[in-house]
Amino acid sequence: MKAPISWLQDFVKIDIPAEALADKLVHSGFEVEDIIRESDNIRNVVTGRVIATERHPNSDHLWICQVNVKTATLQIVTGAQNVKVNDIVPVALDGAQLPDGKRIYNGELRGVKSLGMLCGGSELGLTDDDYEGASVDGIMIMRPDTKVGVDINEVLGRTDVILDVSVTANRPDCNSILGIAREIGAVLHKPVKMPVTSYTATPERIFNMLDVQVEDGDLCPRYMAKAVKNIKITQSPKIMQDRLRAVGIKPINNIVDITNYILIELGQPMHAFDYEKIAGKRLVVRRATEGETITTLDNTSHALESDMLVIADAEKPLAVAGIMGGLDSGISDNTNTIIFESAKFARDNIRRTSRKLNLKSDSSARFEKGIDFLSQAIAIDRALTLIQINGWGTIVSGTIDTNMNAVKPRTITVPYKKINSVLGIKVPTDKMVSILNSLQIKTVVKGKKLECNIPAFREDIEGVNDLAEEIIRLYGYNKIKSTLFADARQTMGGREVNRSREDLLKRILTAKGADEIITYSFISPKTFDLLRLDKNDELRRAVPIMNPLGEDVSIMRTTLVGSMLSIIGGNYSKNNKEGVFFETSKVFRPKTLPLTDFPVETETLSVGMYGGDCDFYSLKGLLDSVFQAFKIDKTEYRRVKINYLHEGRSAEIFVEGESVGYLGEVYPDVSEAYGIDARVYIAEINLEKLFSFAKDHREFKALPKYPAISRDLALLVKDGVSSDQVVAVIRKVTNRKLLESVEIFDVYKGQGVPKGNTSIALTVVFRAPDRTLTDDEVQAEIDHALKSMKRKYRVKLRV
Amino acid sequence: MIETIEKLKADGIALINDAATLNDVNNVKVKIFGKNGDFTAAMRGLKDVPKEQKPEVGKAFNDVKVMLEGLIAEKERVFAEAEKQARIKSEYIDVTLPGKKELGALHPLTLVKNEILDTFIGLGFEVKEGPEIESDYYNFQLLNIPKDHPARDMQDSLYITDNFLLRTHTSPMQARTMTTQKPPIRIVVPGKVYRNDDDATHSPMFQQVEGLVVDKHITLCDLKGALEVFAKRLFDEKTKVRFRPSYFPFTEPSVEVDVSCSICHGKGCRVCKGTGWIEILGAGIVNPAVLEACGINSKEYSGYAFGFGIERIAMIKYGIPDIRLFFENDKRFLEQYK
Repeated sequence: MKAPISWLQDFVKIDIPAEALADKLVHSGFEVEDIIRESDNIRNVVTGRVIATERHPNSDHLWICQVNVKTATLQIVTGAQNVKVNDIVPVALDGAQLPDGKRIYNGELRGVKSLGMLCGGSELGLTDDDYEGASVDGIMIMRPDTKVGVDINEVLGRTDVILDVSVTANRPDCNSILGIAREIGAVLHKPVKMPVTSYTATPERIFNMLDVQVEDGDLCPRYMAKAVKNIKITQSPKIMQDRLRAVGIKPINNIVDITNYILIELGQPMHAFDYEKIAGKRLVVRRATEGETITTLDNTSHALESDMLVIADAEKPLAVAGIMGGLDSGISDNTNTIIFESAKFARDNIRRTSRKLNLKSDSSARFEKGIDFLSQAIAIDRALTLIQINGWGTIVSGTIDTNMNAVKPRTITVPYKKINSVLGIKVPTDKMVSILNSLQIKTVVKGKKLECNIPAFREDIEGVNDLAEEIIRLYGYNKIKSTLFADARQTMGGREVNRSREDLLKRILTAKGADEIITYSFISPKTFDLLRLDKNDELRRAVPIMNPLGEDVSIMRTTLVGSMLSIIGGNYSKNNKEGVFFETSKVFRPKTLPLTDFPVETETLSVGMYGGDCDFYSLKGLLDSVFQAFKIDKTEYRRVKINYLHEGRSAEIFVEGESVGYLGEVYPDVSEAYGIDARVYIAEINLEKLFSFAKDHREFKALPKYPAISRDLALLVKDGVSSDQVVAVIRKVTNRKLLESVEIFDVYKGQGVPKGNTSIALTVVFRAPDRTLTDDEVQAEIDHALKSMKRKYRVKLRV
Repeated sequence: MIETIEKLKADGIALINDAATLNDVNNVKVKIFGKNGDFTAAMRGLKDVPKEQKPEVGKAFNDVKVMLEGLIAEKERVFAEAEKQARIKSEYIDVTLPGKKELGALHPLTLVKNEILDTFIGLGFEVKEGPEIESDYYNFQLLNIPKDHPARDMQDSLYITDNFLLRTHTSPMQARTMTTQKPPIRIVVPGKVYRNDDDATHSPMFQQVEGLVVDKHITLCDLKGALEVFAKRLFDEKTKVRFRPSYFPFTEPSVEVDVSCSICHGKGCRVCKGTGWIEILGAGIVNPAVLEACGINSKEYSGYAFGFGIERIAMIKYGIPDIRLFFENDKRFLEQYK
């Protein structure tokens, strides 16, 4: 909300600098985003009278002018051809600053001194709308009655200081000069005047001219109309034009300007209809019928729907209620009689209609925020007052008002102790009373209670907490002390168990060298193509966002893999030669599409690595460390085929027979699609499943009493037989009570190993709980195992 | 016999003295005391010595043996020491070469989040999390933001359907907790939230931490006290907290909370734009309408709530200029936070 200080001064006396005022407003709940000094735009440009002109001796187009700026007569060279003796022109003096930031200094032009510059309208950022004649080619020639030696800003009416106030959604009343003035009155302890509303009317009565019917009162709680005859369409006075320009509204003509002026001054949108154009001399406030159309003032045509409110005449819609008038019923130079509308429309309906039609106006913005029940009458009276003061028409007596008794006084009675119990400090009761009264909430003390009469413009005040806020924001938040649960019960803090586990997980992964990443939860649907997913792959069933920021972020991810590969791709392209990354985040799986119920959100881990000497087993080792940390012993890796993984280097991971995730090398085409010219390894683990197997501590196991005997075996294993299968045979055929562990310590392929074979070296450890084993016993177990391995997988002992 | 022993002694000493390496010493040891060594051979003569001389000769043998063994041991020690010293000399490495390290980094947002959560856990807050795809009911309606309310403009929402959206704040967990749990309630809710917003200081996805306390006699002063603890822990002991009036539909009174600038301590600098204060969060007393909507008697109970963005806090704390750095995840950025 832009509030020029001169306009505010109409209602409240401001006797402190703008900065100090802004500071006070900030601490009472109104952020001042900017203090705009209009005169900062053009500096050191004054009016001057040309007293002599002569041709420049060294140029065929330059002129040498002598210009009187009251304090001096300056010689200024100009290239413009329209300057004549006695013209009053803008003169940029030495050091002047123009709106485009250009500075002007004394200088010389082709050997002739020039002390400043004569300005054209465009150089001052002006057009004919700002000053008549400003658009002319050449120097801007000012009105002959303009005083000489005056700052140009004064001539243009640009001397105001404007506060740009941010108004919170609970204070729609402050989207007006009057509303801000009321707040200033409260912070400065100054009285606030109301706008002048007084006029006389002709004996003719509006009721004989016009019939108004509100058919849909739910969307239009109040509709007021007044008529003005013998309208004179002209320009508004300079002060109105200046003020409108100051708040960013272009002056058009007196009638349009009045409605805009009142919108800003009182926050009440108004509309003016050309009476001659109202068919049947009837205004009907009703929902549109499906398929009705209207062309609005901005010259766009809209198809209306049956939940949109219109102001119609006997035949057709004249305006989209509260949003914009129709092109046909607007004010023109030929208008003779007008009908002013001042109404209250339901804000949610205005909001919906405005969004549906993609049609916005200052009026709709105000209605959306909410208008109180009193403004309609004040606004319409103010409009008529302005008409009469300026002699722009004759006012027809009588007011059409569909809901004269809308305003019911509201009284809230609260114990003042209650207010202090919200704040936690004791505010003196007389202070409470004076603060509330300064906000025009008429308050008296009755016993131990405050009785507060809430004005109509404060619909936001409903109870103790609202009153407490009004009091403390003016009493001062700096008076709030610090206490720590002064009067509350102790509670037990902490994390949910799975979140503590997630923290542990992150600590392990970082200890193993991985960096944590955080990426967007939304991805591009193209991700699924980059991952080579089948058309009907379950992962493609993602939750779409209705209004995404772009296609790249338009669906909720069902896997973290795409995001991980993007980050690896990004790092790869920045010449980060290697990397290990992980992310924990949710993936989203809809139960139904479109969504009719909450989707399943699953906390998931992704790990990715590339570069260096990383391979499948580096990643597997990382995951095994994680499983170990959660005391999960029984993991099983089974070969798996996943479209975006290398089929020979990928495995699904099972814990106690249940799949918890997978890992593998990324399929070459996929890493290439992400711009990575290196082998990439990724894993994805369902953390909720993983954590369901987690144990937070282990049972104590007694340390062994008797020594173990271990045997190292170097085995020749045919390709296609996995180490897991070999180990499984050993576990199966040896005495379970004696076998303690089987560990692979070396895997080798190459020289000395026959083609089609792998050498797997493992250590088998035997131990009895109750005695020392003999070599013979162990040898018998080993022989048995070797025989079984040979029979089953043709495994040979390497010699 | 005694002469033989004396000769053994003299020869032995000479041999030992001549030994120039550890290997020589070993050879000498074999030559003297080995199976066929001189000393061993001479000892065999002991059996022919008359009985009465045996103690004397035996002692002489023993004395020489002890003496020679002593000399050999000493020589071995010297050579072993020399060899060890030589090995050490040959084993010098470049101690300035880099070590074999493997430490990754937690994301700076996780670091800040954990620090914040730990502070509140210390104050008895329980950490809770909720769904990121929320219903309109929890995200707005229970929080006193009905459909078509202008307050909805404060948060540009990303919608899934008319009834489901990406939560715009962590506040729905206030409602979810209050509708299922009896006071005293003291929770903090970290989590991802989403808005239709994207520039150097706004990200369409960011993380918030929400706090909610509901009990009897909770006041604005209690809110200020808790936030002061938080600000001092996060920045430093000198940090001050200031309230400014504001508006949120679910709190009343509502405040914006500023902390004194930890860079300039209130004198004014670039970070605080010369004001000495930095706005970090929104807070207030829980609106009684929200308590009632969630089934808590507002006559009996009161509460406070606060919420802030982790990114913003991290940007202030670490001086990070652009929010997008958090989501680019460049290794060189991430590893600054090891």
